[in-house]
Amino acid sequence: MTKTPKGIEVEGTVVECLRNATFRVELENGHKVLAHISGKIRRNYIKILPFDRVLVELTPYDLNRGRILFRYRS
Amino acid sequence: MKPLITRVAESQWHALEDDRVVGRGDVSRRPDGRLFLSIDVWHTPVFDQLADVMLADLPKPLYTVVDEADLDLTSSWARAGFTTRRREWEYTVPTDPRVTGLDTARPPADVTILAAGTAELGRLRALDRAVRDEVETTVGWREMPAEVLSRPDGITAPDLPKYVVAAQADEYVGLVRVAPLPRRPRIGLIAVRAGQHRRGVARSLLAHVLGSLHGNGVETASADVHESNVAAAALFDGVGARRAGSNLELVLT
Repeated sequence: MTKTPKGIEVEGTVVECLRNATFRVELENGHKVLAHISGKIRRNYIKILPFDRVLVELTPYDLNRGRILFRYRS
Repeated sequence: MKPLITRVAESQWHALEDDRVVGRGDVSRRPDGRLFLSIDVWHTPVFDQLADVMLADLPKPLYTVVDEADLDLTSSWARAGFTTRRREWEYTVPTDPRVTGLDTARPPADVTILAAGTAELGRLRALDRAVRDEVETTVGWREMPAEVLSRPDGITAPDLPKYVVAAQADEYVGLVRVAPLPRRPRIGLIAVRAGQHRRGVARSLLAHVLGSLHGNGVETASADVHESNVAAAALFDGVGARRAGSNLELVLT
């Protein structure tokens, strides 16, 4: 887990695609968060699917919510 | 507390509260020259403040892309003055011939389907240019998926391994491009020369591609279709594809 000025970034796995453009992501520590995708991912038409490994930025205001910053290729 | 909005780079803005980044805005230029924005925030009010600053800094028209199911984000852009310019349906396409009904699809007798990576570059480039010219005289590339918009310099350089081609004598008459994305490959473009429409060429190209994916253990592919593209929607609807969502391209003029 890396703490940066922009927030807490942590890797996880997408476990569920929800209806309102959000995803349930299981973090490496087993904690599950709800996450939207970042604007850059959306702008580049990158699709997020269950089992995708992703990098999530957690909001400092609610550690149960976050934003998917990156989808790993493997 | 009102955040401090700062342009931290030519294409990037930050919203800061207590030295913490609570919002981020980006802009990038597409190959067709259009400027696309994105804004990510932790609180809705910050979106409006970031948008105000970014829109004042940038020339119009400006564009962005949203998932139509993301109502909060869509309404945030609407508050900033953006309106819907186009809608694309996102299809999930089955590959199993028993589901698609494509197990009996064959190309016309005078047409041969060439597998991915076996097309000849010069002929493929000629077909690519012909298709681009034909589209431009009809609906135009503005109505096609953003990733295949014509570049201002007119340069086209097809990536051979991604293309399955329909050949007739010495000429290529149709193509389908598939991006080999992990788990769910993406059908980026299906195109057939205008004089070859309604002969089953597109259907046989699709049959080849989906059959190959199925043989490699891939269960579904994805495809984006502009809402006005009746022919493409009918093609995908006809093979049992389902609409999984929709993306909106928004514009501020």
